[in-house]
Amino acid sequence: MIFDPTPLSADEEKLRDQVRAFLAETLPAGFRPGLGLGGRHDPEFTRTLARRGWVGMSIPTEYGGAGASTVRRFVVIEELLAAGAPIAAHWIAERQSAPAFLRFGTEEQRRWFLPRIAAGECWFSLGMSEPDAGSDLASVRTTATRVEGGWRVAGTKVWTTNAHLNHFAAMLCRTTPQGEGDRHAGLSQLIVDLSDEDVHVSPIPLIDGEEHVNEVVLDGVFVPDERVLGEVGQGWAQVTAELAHERSGPDRYLSILGLYRAFLDAHGRHPDDVRAAAIGRIGAQLWTIRQLSLAVARSLDEGEAPAVEASLVKDVGTTFEQQVVEMLRDAAGGEIDPGGPTMFDVLLAECVLNAPTWTLRGGTTEVLRGIAAKALTRGAR
Amino acid sequence: MSAGSDLREVRDTVADLLADRVTPEVLEAAERDGWAAGVWEPLHAGGFTTVGVPESAGGAGGSVAEACAVLEAAGAAAAPVPVAETGLLAGCLLASAGLDLPDGPLTTGVGDVALRDGSLTGRLARVAWASAAARIVVLADGPDGTVVAVVDPAAARISPGHNLAGEPRESVDLGGVVPETTAPAPPGARDDLARRGALARAAQIAGAARRVLEITVTYTGERVQFGRPVSRFPAVADHLVRVAEQAEMAAMASRSAAVGAGPDGEPAELDVAAAASVASEAAGLVAAAAHQATGAMGVTREFALGVLTRRLWSWRDEWGGERAWSTRLGHTLAAGGPDALWPTISRGVRV
Repeated sequence: MIFDPTPLSADEEKLRDQVRAFLAETLPAGFRPGLGLGGRHDPEFTRTLARRGWVGMSIPTEYGGAGASTVRRFVVIEELLAAGAPIAAHWIAERQSAPAFLRFGTEEQRRWFLPRIAAGECWFSLGMSEPDAGSDLASVRTTATRVEGGWRVAGTKVWTTNAHLNHFAAMLCRTTPQGEGDRHAGLSQLIVDLSDEDVHVSPIPLIDGEEHVNEVVLDGVFVPDERVLGEVGQGWAQVTAELAHERSGPDRYLSILGLYRAFLDAHGRHPDDVRAAAIGRIGAQLWTIRQLSLAVARSLDEGEAPAVEASLVKDVGTTFEQQVVEMLRDAAGGEIDPGGPTMFDVLLAECVLNAPTWTLRGGTTEVLRGIAAKALTRGAR
Repeated sequence: MSAGSDLREVRDTVADLLADRVTPEVLEAAERDGWAAGVWEPLHAGGFTTVGVPESAGGAGGSVAEACAVLEAAGAAAAPVPVAETGLLAGCLLASAGLDLPDGPLTTGVGDVALRDGSLTGRLARVAWASAAARIVVLADGPDGTVVAVVDPAAARISPGHNLAGEPRESVDLGGVVPETTAPAPPGARDDLARRGALARAAQIAGAARRVLEITVTYTGERVQFGRPVSRFPAVADHLVRVAEQAEMAAMASRSAAVGAGPDGEPAELDVAAAASVASEAAGLVAAAAHQATGAMGVTREFALGVLTRRLWSWRDEWGGERAWSTRLGHTLAAGGPDALWPTISRGVRV
């Protein structure tokens, strides 16, 4: 399907103005923007945002949220990401965990977790990848063994962003040993309390020198039955549903907005045609990808499930983000200087070191294209 | 929320009309003869060639978005007739000067043309279907400002030329030609025309790109090598995905610019620049990936892909290619300054 563009309603525009005004008064002058969803982990900012009702917006009001549409949430997170706001504390809880509780959680879990997430007080990490299970998630080895009143979980998770700061993670575990048949069977999602003494978190330093992703060793940690998310054995279906739903959001094209803006500030006063062409090409692509992403959000509100389009938008968006870094580096000229005087210098250095992750996280380009190709060719046969 | 379903109806109607009429034989004949009466006449009789031109000027009425919906369908069918030129370009130019539309195919073009003592000087380069047109509509510098002039092609000296798709792109020498009618052009008429030209080509590219995707998916699903359809090979599937992505990009860009023009407005400079930049770039990427995926069969004259890729390679540069429009857009964005950057880009469409 090819989408028609969708406008924002007057109400949605008003919401956007409110978020813009809030950010203008909250973020300090000379604020160094985070790279989209790589924004900093700032509990105070998250709580302030939550007081405005802008955390966990799509959580229904009976669970403490705003019961907002996908598009209204889109409007808010787009502005937060565009500003490079410090959203890391609530990002996964609100994007991934809250919808998962709504779809698969028990009433008791919803009543406990959702109001806390919406208040900005309950932060989640993802618990999917393992040393031998990256793109091939079905090969997870973390094992949950039945014990009285719950499960004992043993295994190792990796790339667990902010596990040292967050409260919980939904860990994808094998609850039934892998048999001959369907290798996706026998997986389950268990909510692990990251402060448990049998959970050992240690940082995995990345090439940018930062230590926000972790290895998480689960050393026989006990998870009570009431912390099983969804059905035992249905973990695979639950995880893939989560991924498809959240692939095409504004986090897939806004990692570079701070850099783009800083380029205009540093090199865009009276640009020559080469620099103008770079500025214009980026602006044109961004304008278009944004409309695509918004159209996906709107179609979700209209009850459709545009999984293929979401994969395409993510692939286009993240590939574009990487191109932007190279185009602006080339247009600026000179050497990359992490200690340079301008915001552009600083952000360019950060972007070059971070850009490789943009087409890896949330499904590598190769995996996404595989999913999209399967759907494209299915119709043809 | 959007006018999407109406536009879909327009696209489907035109697609149905053209389905049995633009055949490989018709396309070959059109390249040879420079005209396809069997395609033009039903489109014209149905009022599809003047969508977007006000009814008061003799057009079919309708919005720029509806005009672009017609063009998308015409682009997908590779219809070898001047639909864009008759309606959105020459037709709207006439209407903007308060002139009525003559019947039949119309065209227009760009060049340094002046009106002196009642006759024209100068030439237009690469005019689409100039000799086949009933009239050529020209912007000329007159003693009291720019005028819109209507010219009978029989009175001009026309030298042949084509684009890569064999569509007529002719040089028109207007020296000494006395226009049938003239009227003062509204301010900014040249820029308006250039924008409409770029938007029209972006819509045609979007349609052609979508059709290229269909053809490529079908072919690679049927073509068996090493015991399975080639589309099952990840490296080939990757090309299909890239075609799909760029088809989405071109469509979203051109539709956004078209819808943004409003019910009877002009498409905005920024929107058209963005749409032209994205669609022109997409055209090359779509053609390259589709040809790689379809192998040697794809480059034969017999296969349906070539009539579309030759158009993509041509249309992307007509009325300005991706660098030209990106540069314009870049200067505008830079002049707005860093604080206006995101509000401008995220302004989105208004309906």
